[in-house]
Amino acid sequence: MCMIDKHREYSVPPRRSRMLAVASLLVLGVGALGWARADAPDLATQAFAQRLAIGVCGTCHGPHGNSGQPKFPRLAGQNGNYLVAQLKNFRGQTRGDPDAIGYMWGMAAELDDPTIEALAKYYSSQQPLPGRTGDPALAARGREIYEHGIESEGVPACSSCHGADGHGVADFPRLASQRSQYILKQLASFQSNMRNVAVMHGVAQNLRLNEMQAVATYLEGQP
Amino acid sequence: MKSGAGNTRALCGAALLLSVLTAPAALAVPSFARQTGMACEACHTVYPELTHFGRVFKANGYVLANLKQVRDVTAKKEQLLELAQTPPLSIMVQASYTQLSTALPDLSSGAPGVAQNGTAGFPQQLSLFYAGKIAPHFGAFAQLTYANDSGTISMDNVDLRFADTAILPGDRSLIYGLTLNNNPTVQDLWNSTPAFGFPYASSNAAVSPLAGTEIDGTLGQDVAGLTGYLFWNESLYAEVGLYRSAKQGATNSLTGAAGPLDGTISNVIQGVAPYWRVAYEHNWERHSIELGLYGADVKLLPGASPAPTALRGPFNRFKDVAEDIQYQYISDDHQITVAGTRIHENLSLDASFASMASANPTDSLTTTRLWTTYYYRRKIGGTLGYFSTTGSSDAGLYAPTAPGDPGVITSANGSPDTRGWIAEVNYLPWLNTKLSAQYISYNKFNGGSSNYDGVGRNASDNNAWYLLVWFAY
Repeated sequence: MCMIDKHREYSVPPRRSRMLAVASLLVLGVGALGWARADAPDLATQAFAQRLAIGVCGTCHGPHGNSGQPKFPRLAGQNGNYLVAQLKNFRGQTRGDPDAIGYMWGMAAELDDPTIEALAKYYSSQQPLPGRTGDPALAARGREIYEHGIESEGVPACSSCHGADGHGVADFPRLASQRSQYILKQLASFQSNMRNVAVMHGVAQNLRLNEMQAVATYLEGQP
Repeated sequence: MKSGAGNTRALCGAALLLSVLTAPAALAVPSFARQTGMACEACHTVYPELTHFGRVFKANGYVLANLKQVRDVTAKKEQLLELAQTPPLSIMVQASYTQLSTALPDLSSGAPGVAQNGTAGFPQQLSLFYAGKIAPHFGAFAQLTYANDSGTISMDNVDLRFADTAILPGDRSLIYGLTLNNNPTVQDLWNSTPAFGFPYASSNAAVSPLAGTEIDGTLGQDVAGLTGYLFWNESLYAEVGLYRSAKQGATNSLTGAAGPLDGTISNVIQGVAPYWRVAYEHNWERHSIELGLYGADVKLLPGASPAPTALRGPFNRFKDVAEDIQYQYISDDHQITVAGTRIHENLSLDASFASMASANPTDSLTTTRLWTTYYYRRKIGGTLGYFSTTGSSDAGLYAPTAPGDPGVITSANGSPDTRGWIAEVNYLPWLNTKLSAQYISYNKFNGGSSNYDGVGRNASDNNAWYLLVWFAY
């Protein structure tokens, strides 16, 4: 059994843990992998982040990041870089959609960089569960928009950045199996600039509500 | 009013019940929001009703903190201190106006007359809270209250908690903790149990019925209890503990000190009173449902009621077993709650029967409450609630009006039966400010619908409007 203390000293683990961490990295030869950067979380921080994810974040996002509540986004399998950026945006209070302000500004306020990295690593390595499939006609319309955009309204294809399968590309987030309510609210926030992301504002500014709903419905049903 | 001796119920019932029924509902306090940096809606639909996140926050001991901390650690990284740079203090104010359907008799002179109808409470209540983290895994919800009926400041609800979380195989969480509190069910996580159940605020200038079960607030602020609990996977909850009398303002008649309690004190728990609670909560999509059982076994020594008696010998025993249910639907736009509880109490009145304070050696009492609440965007909403208390007729416990007395808080037929409805409309201009209009309607009161006290008062005469301004900062 592991105990959770959100504010324990996790950035400087005990000597034994540090030695174990170094030894593990050497034995496993993971130094060449992407996560073994200078600021990558050590093993103690990873273990702490896992306990944090299950015991604190999990109340809303589910213990493995497969949120059971439509209000809260699914984090399982999400792009790690995207998660790091968002957690830092929450911490810096630069992401301004309503739920970010109401929930995540507080939750991320005291997270340090290694913990953010470790949380991102934890969630990005979780297996996303299938989302709910919605109305077939709406999902078909959403697929059309996702794959081809709406040329007459200047809406580009979502797939060009988020990937044909919606699994995300580079720093662009995974959208497949994401909660449709969450996607809908984010698109609305991009459109209104409450969540101020220039690229997504450009994408969403001409989307109508029913078009947003269609895209969100399609994406939640994607594996 | 439940007391160890029946005539205490009859003589002091209304006054004490007022304090019980208007025992300030502890509520969402803004210090929690300051501590977590999270909006009220994370933990509440509308205060004081908790969401699932709020229940987990409470079970975890109120310690989730996202503020910079003043720390001290040993060379081995042991935490010695974690103090938030802002103390978790809050102030709450309730100001109210109560209008009875029919004014009460005026006892100030022998001449017939009625008391002024329409009572302003300004404030009805003012509370200071310490609500938040004290140390790692140790937090408190502690309330100090000024009330206009007593005109004094006194200790109100207190819930001190130690809690921690274990991660079990399969990544299931297990929250475990201890709570030291002064009101059975104040520590509970659901709003279907008495301490945080509807109505969340009541008039202290209206008339309340005579009968109430022990676990239904009667012991509040009069006991100290230590209970331990487990909350598995944020769904299965179990708690057991013991309560002992912890009288406020009581002194030993010999020494004048705060104790030990003696026969000049009323209704002292013999030994300790066990309390237990099990509940299961299931969450899916925007819904959650909880089903639970709780109870207590309280043995009360009459002591000073009706006359000073040594704290030994026969006692009155109250065995309470209750069921509760709570359903919530929570979306950004709509918040719907259906909740209720039924408390059944078996009374073994050895002490009261021996002193002829009760008419029967055993009685029973059942209280049922059921309510549904709707809010639109946490801004405007209302609650409709039904309440009922039924039980054995006992002319000792629920005494008739004595010749020449004004009645009102008596029962002509010795029955405790009371039932009625409460309707409430609320508007929240801000999430920490609630404006309420509440109407309570009695179909039956102390055993009767008409002339329930034998001197002409009807149940509906006790219907009341209650207007409330309630805010906290």
